[in-house]
Amino acid sequence: MNHTVLVCDDAIFMRTMISDILSQAGFEVVGEAESGLQAVEKYRELKPDLVTMDIVMPDMGGIEAVREICKADPGAKILMCSAMGQQALVVEAIQAGAKDFVVKPFQPSRVLEAVQRVLA
Amino acid sequence: MDLSKYAALFVTESREHLKACNSSLLEWEKEPAAVEPVDRLFRSIHTIKGMAATMGYTGLAQLAHRIENLLDGLRQSRLQADPSIFQLLFRAVDTLGKSVDAAAAGADELPDAPLLAELDSAAGTDAPAVAPAPVPATATPTRRVTDAPRFRPIQVGIRPGAVMKGARAALVLRRAERLGSVSAVRPPVAEFERDDFDGRFSFRLQTRSPEADIVTALRSVGEVDTLEILESAAPGSEVRPEAIRQIRVDLRRLDLLMKQVGELVVAKNRLGALASESRNPVLMEVSERIGRLVSAMQGEVIASRMTPVGDVFERFPRLVRDLSRDLGKQIRFDMEGEEIELDRSILDDIGEPLVHLIRNAADHGIEGPADRVAAGKSAEGRILISAARERNTVAIRVADDGRGIDREKILAKARQEGAAPETDALSDDLLIRVLARPGFSTARQVSGVSGRGVGVDVAMTRVRALGGTLEVRTELGKGTTFLIRVPLTLAIVRALLTEAGGERYAVPLAYVAETVEFDRASVTALRDREALVVRDRVIPTVHLRDLVASRSSSVSTRRPTVILELGERRTALVVDALVGQQDIVVEPFDAPRGLPPFVGGATILADGAPALILDAAALL
Repeated sequence: MNHTVLVCDDAIFMRTMISDILSQAGFEVVGEAESGLQAVEKYRELKPDLVTMDIVMPDMGGIEAVREICKADPGAKILMCSAMGQQALVVEAIQAGAKDFVVKPFQPSRVLEAVQRVLA
Repeated sequence: MDLSKYAALFVTESREHLKACNSSLLEWEKEPAAVEPVDRLFRSIHTIKGMAATMGYTGLAQLAHRIENLLDGLRQSRLQADPSIFQLLFRAVDTLGKSVDAAAAGADELPDAPLLAELDSAAGTDAPAVAPAPVPATATPTRRVTDAPRFRPIQVGIRPGAVMKGARAALVLRRAERLGSVSAVRPPVAEFERDDFDGRFSFRLQTRSPEADIVTALRSVGEVDTLEILESAAPGSEVRPEAIRQIRVDLRRLDLLMKQVGELVVAKNRLGALASESRNPVLMEVSERIGRLVSAMQGEVIASRMTPVGDVFERFPRLVRDLSRDLGKQIRFDMEGEEIELDRSILDDIGEPLVHLIRNAADHGIEGPADRVAAGKSAEGRILISAARERNTVAIRVADDGRGIDREKILAKARQEGAAPETDALSDDLLIRVLARPGFSTARQVSGVSGRGVGVDVAMTRVRALGGTLEVRTELGKGTTFLIRVPLTLAIVRALLTEAGGERYAVPLAYVAETVEFDRASVTALRDREALVVRDRVIPTVHLRDLVASRSSSVSTRRPTVILELGERRTALVVDALVGQQDIVVEPFDAPRGLPPFVGGATILADGAPALILDAAALL
């Protein structure tokens, strides 16, 4: 069975790109969220195997969302999507429970490597 | 041989062993059949005995010797450790602590005879004790426990080409934490975020996992280039990781160094300002180089002062144990994030507020066992103290699963005292303000533990003095959480300089989320207050020129605005102009009376002019 993924990013562009990378590699993107709040709700509803999470989003940022999701499900597998220069935020996300991170601009191979590590 | 110069070292090291004694005792008491805590306790007492005898403190050595006798009997299992024995051992360790201080102060004497007699009779060796021969500290008898967790010093290097090496390193630590407990992280985690972090770091892992499992787990993080697990040390042993050599430094030296670096930073900023005025390229280059060197030096000095919060947490298990006995309650106490690091001077000041909050939790929060069962909870209450790094601050939470704070009662009490805010329901923010009023207490009786109304207000005052904040979250019947947030380090702060009414004000960057432009067009109202819409979020505004009662009139319609952020709360601070970022040295500051509450300190700017530092927390 294919792994299911929830893609969280406030930019449609980024969501589309990540979804494409993952679908082409055989993952099933079961949902998208454009805010942290939505991410938390959809996670609860869809129980995906993997979440990709943008850091800066309206209505609850990605880090807060990671904290909420991990509070409800400590085994949640969350991959942070970050821009250059956000190292402090990434470290904070990791301390909140994120399992790995990728840095924009995304290279598909890098994203997939990180996904494999998270799911391993 | 002149031993006096070793006295200070003797005291420091003995205190460390006493702390270890307390935690071993606690662990042992929880699990009376365990072997390892007894072994550790025995070793600590034995080491103190050896050091005391070497120093010529015969009274102290005598006491340690009697404790050791009792422990030896217990270890050989000739004796059963029952609650009365644990109580005796706790008392003996306390007395030993007092004797260490007394001996170092030149008052070594044989401790009270009744205690010695009790120790002897418990040990079944009522025979007159012979003064112990000085024992070399190296001859520590140990029983090896094969499956006990071991301390493994680990060195890791992230692949040089990897992006965000610091974040990758943080992942390695997270993974390691799943195998056991992580300590002695070098460089401290705070430095992982620096751009010049080269991806090499070391830490100590206390774990039962075999080496191969550790390698697999840590390598699975990815981008790990080198991974070295150094020789492991027996549990509780004094062996420090070979790779990291340490020396002890008097804290006052570090304080002085910090102060001087602070002055150096001011001078550096001044030089930078003069150099750019001069437009002399050579001077500017030298000034820049000095700037970089000073920044690096500042980083090193700050790092050398960072200490894990565990150093302060260590005494809390004992505190909670004693409290639960005194109060007749069953309380489980857990700690998390002991490895999180803070500036030593902040750490020293945070112990007392935490003690107040823990006492409050044990006394007012946690219900008696009967009440808990009646409320459908387990008879055993829980207090959790946890530390976490959040941006440039450290958040420490004291959470209990007790009865929660009754907002209506508090409101009624506040009305009685004529201090009630004009509201029908207390939000968390208003609640903490009422609780923190000097002398406010709702405890019906003053117990020995708390209830004199000096809990929350003392904590609040202390935390505010550190530039930190105190928050509360509470739910009736479910429990209460107090959250202390303090900056990582005091003396030097990166700040955003702003201008209003012709004066300059510094805002610590730790609280700045972003800067935007104040535009009449995006102004709205939030509960009758002016507010600003920033990316779909409504944020209440504060105009700095109104706060400082500026009379100058030239106000443009579009003005820079600093979005302050603290936890979930935000405020938009409208200023006249943004001047730039600067490292500022927070000067020791006794606030003169009448100074507005939003002023948190003062500093000298690069051009030599003084400026006030805004207390962002008070503006939120």
